[in-house]
Amino acid sequence: MKSIMKLIKRFAVTLIFSLALLLILNIFLLLIVFRPDAGTEETAGGWKGAAKLAEYLTLQPDGGYEMQEEGTAMLERSGSWAVLIQDGTGDVIWHSENLPEEIQLHYSAAEISWYTRGYVADYPTTTAAKGEDLLMVGNPKESYWKDMYPTFRLSTVKNLPRTMLLFFGANLAGVFLIYMAVTSGILRSVKPIVQGIQALPEGKDVYVKEKGLLLDLAAALNLVSEKLRSQEYELKKKEQARADWISGVSHDIRTPLSMVMGYAAEMEEDAKVSEEIRQKAGIIRMQSVRMKNLVNDLNLASKLEYHMQPVKMEAVNLAALLREAAVYFMNLDMEGKYPVELAASGSTGGDFCGDKELLKRAVNNLLLNAQLHNPAGCHIWLRVSEMEGQRCITVEDDGKGVTEEQLKKLRETPHYMLSSGDAQEQRHGLGLLIVQQIAAAHGGRVEFGHGEKKGFRVDIFLDCNPKNIDEI
Amino acid sequence: MNCDYLKDKRILFVDDEEGLRRMVCSILKKEGYRQVESAGTVKEALGLCASWSPELAILDVMLPDGDGFTLFEQMKSFLDIPVLFLTARGEEDDRLRGFGLGADDYVVKPFLPRELLFRIQAILRRTYKEETPLLELAFSKVDFERAEVIRDGEHLALTAKEYAILQALGRNLGRIVTIDALCEAAWGDNPYGYENTLMAHIRRIREKIEENPSKPVSLITVKGLGYKLNEKYHETH
Repeated sequence: MKSIMKLIKRFAVTLIFSLALLLILNIFLLLIVFRPDAGTEETAGGWKGAAKLAEYLTLQPDGGYEMQEEGTAMLERSGSWAVLIQDGTGDVIWHSENLPEEIQLHYSAAEISWYTRGYVADYPTTTAAKGEDLLMVGNPKESYWKDMYPTFRLSTVKNLPRTMLLFFGANLAGVFLIYMAVTSGILRSVKPIVQGIQALPEGKDVYVKEKGLLLDLAAALNLVSEKLRSQEYELKKKEQARADWISGVSHDIRTPLSMVMGYAAEMEEDAKVSEEIRQKAGIIRMQSVRMKNLVNDLNLASKLEYHMQPVKMEAVNLAALLREAAVYFMNLDMEGKYPVELAASGSTGGDFCGDKELLKRAVNNLLLNAQLHNPAGCHIWLRVSEMEGQRCITVEDDGKGVTEEQLKKLRETPHYMLSSGDAQEQRHGLGLLIVQQIAAAHGGRVEFGHGEKKGFRVDIFLDCNPKNIDEI
Repeated sequence: MNCDYLKDKRILFVDDEEGLRRMVCSILKKEGYRQVESAGTVKEALGLCASWSPELAILDVMLPDGDGFTLFEQMKSFLDIPVLFLTARGEEDDRLRGFGLGADDYVVKPFLPRELLFRIQAILRRTYKEETPLLELAFSKVDFERAEVIRDGEHLALTAKEYAILQALGRNLGRIVTIDALCEAAWGDNPYGYENTLMAHIRRIREKIEENPSKPVSLITVKGLGYKLNEKYHETH
């Protein structure tokens, strides 16, 4: 909705601005077009023209009056006539030659006052003083319009700026009201669509009623939402099918594998069988244990990959967790070929929030990894430390270690579960992939490297407060 | 610990896979368990429960005529015996369901015979402890019933904490028990921060059970991890 408000704001500001501009422009134009015509010295029309004409009217020695040539030319240019009314008598003592017949030749004081304001027989008039007498100029009919009552209260004139502002404000309010009335209708149609679009990336179900102004848009949005939903469903179905398939296979393989493991272990311990066969049985037993781990790993890896493994966050004491994992591993290591040492006191590694079982699984995978790659046995060290706001679990051994090339592969080659899968080269085992997935589930990462004792070293960095677990 | 009396316990193994039934029975018999029977269906298992009264049942979850959880409930209605689930279903939910019903242990296939045997022995020892004889250590014997140690004919009483710690170790003979598990056994739910106290108790236990407490033979320290209690005739690797 933020964007809509922004849109409205922007539109309103533009509107108000253009309105103000137009208003100023119109007032300016009005002033130009409707300016009062005071006349010029070239034509007789207007009050200035009348004053000029009075100057051109000259008194003759015989006591009569005569219009100079310039004055006559002015009257001709504007098609006007003129009379000179004597002060006191009201008689016309001079008039231009083109005086229409209907114009009277005597005027009372009341008539003079009335004709000055308005018209003589529909001829708009202007006047000018000629000594004590009055020169009245009659302009052609319909050439001028005269305001016959040109009086305003002084207070009105004085208040004009304030009144103008008030007018402007009222106009603005009016325009805004009209705008709101018009846009609220549009807004009503746009709002559900905007809300729908905003809900789409959150993965919510979106349905917008298909009505109003933007009917087509609503229909298109519903179609998109439906398409997204069905795609998501299909994807989930596919992922579920893959996870189920892996889970099914790993389930079905367990009972036969139990028998392989059981008989191999039995044969290995059977004193009646030759040493060579017992050794072979030992290999079968070991390999079936490996298969068991593989099956478990495959199942967990696929669940983690397809988000089907619930991550249960709880308070975990990492040191205690490492001890438990180490002891579990050592208790299974009957021959004691893989002694584990822990460098963590009871309280370090406390106050961590994580999934206990998954973390234990990660450590156990690393211990098994050390065992798998060092059949002759090796010493393993477990450590928990804190750095840069992260907890770090380190598993290190003094076994045969890895070459730089292997390390590079470990770091750069994705596991087949994560790649599109046409590369044929050998990738690392599922065990390490799971460790990476578990670290990721805790907002962390895994680093592989060389140990101090030239063995293999793995650091699991874990975020102390993994926030959104759903994101994994 | 002399566990011979446990070898007479009647053990019932229920699984639909005949090959596995044969294998587990043979493993149990080889270990010395003299009374082992197996069943392939719920019906068969219930019949044996009624007629033979087993003292420990090992159940599969998926059976041709029902599931192990239901069988467990039906069995428990007339027979109060410990039960271990041995199944291919390793999901957390299944495991929780099993334990929620009151199972004593839950083992996911595939399994190593040694592991299964150890768990069976642990359950039997825990369940039938009224017959628990003395636990024989290198230089002494522990009488859990009287909470005392007998060394050179002398009876040394165990304190409550020492008893709890020794019991936790005794239940896992020959295996390492973490510091945390021992603290939990002695001090309950929030066991962190008791390590030093635990060390003091271990020292006092050693004074009672060992000939030379500074060179322990029975109660071994596994540095940084926990402790291990060895029986008198344990094999050393």
